[in-house]
Amino acid sequence: MPDVDVLVVGAGPAGAVAALEAKRSAPQLDVLLLERDRAVGAPVRCAEGVGNAGLREFADPDGAPWVARKITRVIFVAPDDTEVKVAERDVGWILDRTRFDAYLAADAGAAGVELLVGTEASGMRHDADGRWEVAVRSGGSADTYRAKVVIAADGVEAMVGRWAGLDSRVPARDMESCVQYVVQGIDFDPDAIYLQFGDQIAPGGYAWVFPKAPGIANVGLGMVALKSDGRNARQYLDDWIARRYPRGARTGYTVGGVIAHTTIKKTYTNGVLVAGDAAHMINPLSGGGIVNAMKAGRLAGRTAAAAIREGDTSARRLAAYHQAWMDLLGEDHLKYYRIKQALEELDDDFFNGLARTVNKIPREKRSLGRIFAHALVKHPQLIPVAARYFV
Amino acid sequence: MRHVRPAEIAIVDLNVCDRCGLCLPLCPPAAIHLALTELEVDRDTCTGCRKCIAPCPVGALSMVPNA
Repeated sequence: MPDVDVLVVGAGPAGAVAALEAKRSAPQLDVLLLERDRAVGAPVRCAEGVGNAGLREFADPDGAPWVARKITRVIFVAPDDTEVKVAERDVGWILDRTRFDAYLAADAGAAGVELLVGTEASGMRHDADGRWEVAVRSGGSADTYRAKVVIAADGVEAMVGRWAGLDSRVPARDMESCVQYVVQGIDFDPDAIYLQFGDQIAPGGYAWVFPKAPGIANVGLGMVALKSDGRNARQYLDDWIARRYPRGARTGYTVGGVIAHTTIKKTYTNGVLVAGDAAHMINPLSGGGIVNAMKAGRLAGRTAAAAIREGDTSARRLAAYHQAWMDLLGEDHLKYYRIKQALEELDDDFFNGLARTVNKIPREKRSLGRIFAHALVKHPQLIPVAARYFV
Repeated sequence: MRHVRPAEIAIVDLNVCDRCGLCLPLCPPAAIHLALTELEVDRDTCTGCRKCIAPCPVGALSMVPNA
């Protein structure tokens, strides 16, 4: 049975950064990174948008081959199609996730991490010495690896944590069902992302247009099935595209789940750390998770390396990871989740009215903060939302 | 150990399923298994709770009599 120090399940942003940081922190450790799919980064299950500042903590996007488009504007679209343009400096980027994930995994590989693609973890159990034995399948062959620390970065399906006895189940009300096409030959502002809300468009979520190039965009939506009128996510998206982009050619297609929840109660147990989507570390308001996953991966990798060096990979030692995550972003997500719940009570009329009100603010002064402040004055029913947010 | 057999259980239509994994964390007894080329619902573990049915973005899951 092969022995490794750190076994990372899943070579997305959380897993690749976790593996890299573990190896960098303690180069003498054997770090193994498993990817179930045959290629890191494919298939893409993502709208590929990422904030500028967070991304730059991990990689330089200027001129990078894994960037599709720089974004400098956000256009919110009310249910009645009223557009609200918000200009912010350096809003963010649309990535090419296939290349970006491969870039991160290659970085880990260059640091000495062993990467196995087309290889999946299929179960795990504790041995008599307190180490994890992880069953691994690749093609027709099966093997068992013994690891001091397992980092669960297995994404939305979040099974590794459950094998370890952690609760990473998702309530249906917090699962965004997402569908996305790559649509070509359509007309939109290629420097902006578009977000449209509406009960008939994407109940409990939003529809998006994320440019990949002029005329080409990721066009998708996420919605909560419990709020559906009977259509599934793909049917909602087909209807939206038929209305907005009837002449677009759909050249690609993907589906997936976004967990709009708060961090799981316990992201660690003896010899196990859970990071990224698998630990519900997505921003529950925006649905963004790439940078969060990398930040969590960094914490997890460093914590695992330090714990192994100290010879203590117990739950008590690994709890430091959970605390560090909660201090970094987890506590903020609790607030964002309360805002999400409050917004769920507002209807289309509210958003239509807010859009018209906000459009009276001069465009250069239309920041998100001002919109929110304006909304409080013009729409006092939002004040309880703000109170719950800031308390 | 289950004492009462549910009247209906979930099945997946693999012609429709995209193997995205969204349904796995929704399943209380972890009855849904995903591998590279297959997704399957374990008929012996499924409790028929239906939590996986509506959220499937493409409608690949449905209930069938537990024969």
